Amino acid sequence: MSSNIYLPHLATIIEIEAQTPDTTMLRVTLDDPTLAQSFTYRPGQFAELSIFGVGECPISIASTPTRKGFLEFCVRAVGQVTNALHELDVGSKIGVRGPYGNPFPLSELEGRNLLFIGGGIGLAPLRSLINYVLDNRDHYGEVELIYGARSPQDLAFKDELKLWDEQEGVTVYLTVDRGDERWRGPVGFVPSFLREIAPSPQEKVAFTCGPPIMIKLVMEALEEMGFPPDHMVTTLEMKMKCGVGKCGRCNIGSRYICRDGPVFTLEQLKALPGGLEL
Amino acid sequence: MIKKAHLTQWLDRVAQGYDLFGPVLDGVVQFERVNSSDQLVFDYANSVVPPKNLFLPQTECLFAFRREEGSIILEPRGGLERERVLFGIRPCDARSLLLLDEVFNSDLEDTYYQEKRRGTILIGLACPSPPQRTCFCTSLGIDPLSPEGVDVLLTDLGDRYLVEVTTEKGEELVGLSQELFFPSAEGEKLKGEKGKSLEEVGEKIGSLWEDGYWRELSRRCLGCGVCTYLCPTCHCFDLTDVGSTLSGKRFRCWDSCMFADFTRMAGGVNPRPTGKERVRQRYFDKFSYFPEQYGVLGCVGCGRCSQYCPMGIDIRTIINEVIARGAK
Ligand SMILES: Cc1cc2nc3c(=O)[nH]c(=O)nc-3n(C[C@H](O)[C@H](O)[C@H](O)COP(=O)(O)OP(=O)(O)OC[C@H]3O[C@@H](n4cnc5c(N)ncnc54)[C@H](O)[C@@H]3O)c2cc1C
Ligand code: FES
Repeated sequence: MSSNIYLPHLATIIEIEAQTPDTTMLRVTLDDPTLAQSFTYRPGQFAELSIFGVGECPISIASTPTRKGFLEFCVRAVGQVTNALHELDVGSKIGVRGPYGNPFPLSELEGRNLLFIGGGIGLAPLRSLINYVLDNRDHYGEVELIYGARSPQDLAFKDELKLWDEQEGVTVYLTVDRGDERWRGPVGFVPSFLREIAPSPQEKVAFTCGPPIMIKLVMEALEEMGFPPDHMVTTLEMKMKCGVGKCGRCNIGSRYICRDGPVFTLEQLKALPGGLEL
Repeated sequence: MIKKAHLTQWLDRVAQGYDLFGPVLDGVVQFERVNSSDQLVFDYANSVVPPKNLFLPQTECLFAFRREEGSIILEPRGGLERERVLFGIRPCDARSLLLLDEVFNSDLEDTYYQEKRRGTILIGLACPSPPQRTCFCTSLGIDPLSPEGVDVLLTDLGDRYLVEVTTEKGEELVGLSQELFFPSAEGEKLKGEKGKSLEEVGEKIGSLWEDGYWRELSRRCLGCGVCTYLCPTCHCFDLTDVGSTLSGKRFRCWDSCMFADFTRMAGGVNPRPTGKERVRQRYFDKFSYFPEQYGVLGCVGCGRCSQYCPMGIDIRTIINEVIARGAK
């Protein structure tokens, strides 16, 4: 019997960690022990999370496959399903379908320097890759992360940001759109902050994820700095339902974001009709 | 060959062993389940709703769920009780199923679609001449007398039908009433007419992304979605839960790229905010995206969208306009 692509696997929430006022990280394990063992994914992929009776929505897998036994999802409450996900407790059951979508081009990254540029919740898919890279440290060069959020309290993964910054060969730059009385760091939008830092494009691949306008401006800035379009990688967002290229909803040009994305290089986007309209 | 007078006998035989579906006059012509051939009509151009709804129903329960003792029980639905026979599908619609197969079969298989598809034998009916006013399959390389995609094709030859059997399943059906069938004399197969080819629309549309035509066209479009619901190759759907978190069902229902909500994301961002983007999406999908993915135009020329558009938007006019304006 072939498997049913619409039938979610049951999973249990084992840990909940508030990240920002509207964002929570859920750590889950798949209930079927065989599946929990065999479930594999790669950084950049996402899953469809179900709350039965409310619905489903696509969420990036924020954990790295190098750390096994659980999956992590970082969810911002913005609508029906995401708000319902915030109301769950440890022990609650959800449905998980996936992993879906294409991963970041891992094999092409070996030996290179990596620049990550994230905005808000956009750090979630990048976090998977960052931790993957740090767990395979020898295979990759320098790591830089430029991360911004609306305000200091909207910065997600604060503990990890510190941990990363302490590692050798990793630099973390933080910025916020608006500071508060305790914030001593830079204030400003991610794209202009990026221009200030002006990282060298030498042997480097840049990854960016965040609100569409940020991605657009970051891509423009990177191009001006000399990053070639095939070394600029982003993950796109479109409304999704099936997650598997059947419901016809999430295309840009002939590419379904759920199936052929969400990861694209700028070079690929340039070849799609409307690909740069983000 | 089978005599016209014997067709109903054969179909009644079929109905004993299979769930028989065919054209029924129920206000309009629809493909419906029948118990006997008396319920069928034979003199019709085509159904209003394409037979895709037998494979991708307008609403379909995918599974039921209920909370029980701290866990959740999921019960998949779907599947067929008995093998089905669909009588009377036209060649354009038969081609459309081959296109839907590409969507639902490629990459990850859609079991709900596939079970219905595999469990249904198709008896096609070649098209009468002259065609309907809105038909244009021949312009898209489809032959209205072709057995492509069906198990058995019947062609009306006055007092009898020419019978072409193309698959083993078709043989089985004919075998049910072997005595009614007789060999044909040679040369009785009619030749389909070829229309003026419009297939270059696929090469031209790509140059028209920025063209003002889409805005013009969208001014006339009401966004009612009827073109998508009645399109035999449109397959967009929504997934939606009915019930409560204690128990309920997950359904899939037809959806339409003509609706603003189709791509409107949480928080209100919509990459296709106006009619212009939505209309453009529909025709780019048919003539550019579908061929890019599956190597064949996503339109079969059945003409339903033109026939039933309340604003009289005719897809042939659009195709001609694209061919006239576009560059290769
Ligand atoms: C590949 C991908 C990865 C994502 N990763 C994350 C993540 O890690 N964390 C996070 O918080 N958010 C993520 N999102 C956005 C998240 O999917 C939406 O916020 C979520 O779908 C909103 O659902 P809702 O039911 O709360 O909102 P509602 O407005 O009630 O939406 C109803 C339904 O529409 C669809 N939908 C609405 N908005 C979106 C959207 N922006 N993207 C896709 N489908 C949508 C969903 O099916 C949703 O259930 C991701 C989106 C995509 C496409
Ligand atoms: S979400 Fe259904 S096609 Fe992408």
